[in-house]
Amino acid sequence: MEFDWSVIVDATPALLGGARLTVLITLVGLAGGLAVGFVAGLMRAYGGRFLSALAFTYIELIRGTPIVVQVMFIYFALPVLADIRVNPMTAAMTAIIVNAGAYIAEIVRGSFLSVHKGLKEAGLAMGLPMWKVLLYIIGPVAFRRMIPPLGNQFIVSLKDTSLFIVIGVGELTRQGQEIMAANFRAVEIWTAVAILYLLMTGTLTLILRITEKRMRML
Amino acid sequence: MSLVKLSKVTKTFGTVVVLQEVDLSIEAGEVVVLVGPSGSGKSTLLRCINALEPINGGDLIVDNISVRAGRSQIRAIRQEAGMVFQQFNLFPQMTALQNVAFGPRHVRGAGKAEALAQAQALLAKVGLAERGHHYPSELSGGQQQRVAIARALAVKPKLMLFDEPTSALDPELRHEVLQVMKSLAEEGMTMIVVTHEMAFAREVGTRLIFMEDGKISVDGDPASLLSNPDNQRLREFLQHVH
Repeated sequence: MEFDWSVIVDATPALLGGARLTVLITLVGLAGGLAVGFVAGLMRAYGGRFLSALAFTYIELIRGTPIVVQVMFIYFALPVLADIRVNPMTAAMTAIIVNAGAYIAEIVRGSFLSVHKGLKEAGLAMGLPMWKVLLYIIGPVAFRRMIPPLGNQFIVSLKDTSLFIVIGVGELTRQGQEIMAANFRAVEIWTAVAILYLLMTGTLTLILRITEKRMRML
Repeated sequence: MSLVKLSKVTKTFGTVVVLQEVDLSIEAGEVVVLVGPSGSGKSTLLRCINALEPINGGDLIVDNISVRAGRSQIRAIRQEAGMVFQQFNLFPQMTALQNVAFGPRHVRGAGKAEALAQAQALLAKVGLAERGHHYPSELSGGQQQRVAIARALAVKPKLMLFDEPTSALDPELRHEVLQVMKSLAEEGMTMIVVTHEMAFAREVGTRLIFMEDGKISVDGDPASLLSNPDNQRLREFLQHVH
């Protein structure tokens, strides 16, 4: 077969539009996921029995079910259960927030607990309240250790957005699928889609590497 | 009025009794050296004074505040009882200067310029005026421990607790840390020191306490106890330490 470049040229605007949605879902999802993950992770690590159990339940519920099932639940089951009707984009973003949040929670918990306990004692011993110990002393050390596993999660979440094809969000994979269905040029379209994903994950990797290099690991 | 007063303090870890109804009063200006075999409870005693370990029985009063009085009271105690650890525990993301300035800023509410100026003076006092901009990882063990002492002093405590401050150091680095501690004692700082440095106990200590099995078994003048230990266990212990 012959690789027809004109197919890619014609498909580019639609694919770029899809990539734009992919980036949007990922950015909102990860920003929310980080917030949820920090709260849940700190609840797991330092909350009392009740808060810790609450966070544990959330994490296990999410990690134990596929993200496709989660987004289907948000999009199709929530309207029935609670009369909450959401559009596909909101459902997609919520799914990433909830899903990434659970994994990030474990990253946060692990990183905070891996910090030598002498630092916590040194902070407490000078009369600091626990929240200041976490914010100023343990947090900055833990944050550096989070960067590699967070990088993993960011990339996984970005690629997970392709699964939202099931609720009809017009992200990159969905755009590829639609163009393919019209012109049957599988090789060109899926090559272009793959390259666009690589560009996005590559950019993420680059940002994380720069962040890591700018910080001294402790 | 004693600065530190323990009344029948008991501390257990699970079923292990680490401190057994310990009574002890320490007055301002004393330099108390705590010695004893490992597991005798001396480090735990120190950590109970700073409320890093909660006590299980009895009462422990520091500067008129009980360690059982609640969270904000415990923070007040900790501000008055500076702690120096065996492993230094400097904050690795901060320079030496930032480490020392941290307490005044976040515990005593000092302004940034004031805290930094005070930190610089304290670093000079421990002989590290030129090292303020180095990170802990760039300093030797002895230098790190001197920064840690400056960091504890910066909070302006009434009492300093030293938990085996030289045990993690090479012999030649111990001297510089002990020297700083000695000058601190000469300024009249109240100190409780867990250590195996008998020369320090003899020279600087005003009181020697020997602990075994969670109890104080000898309490007296360091010079006379060290030259003429009348307690069999203390005598044996000193033979192993020397």
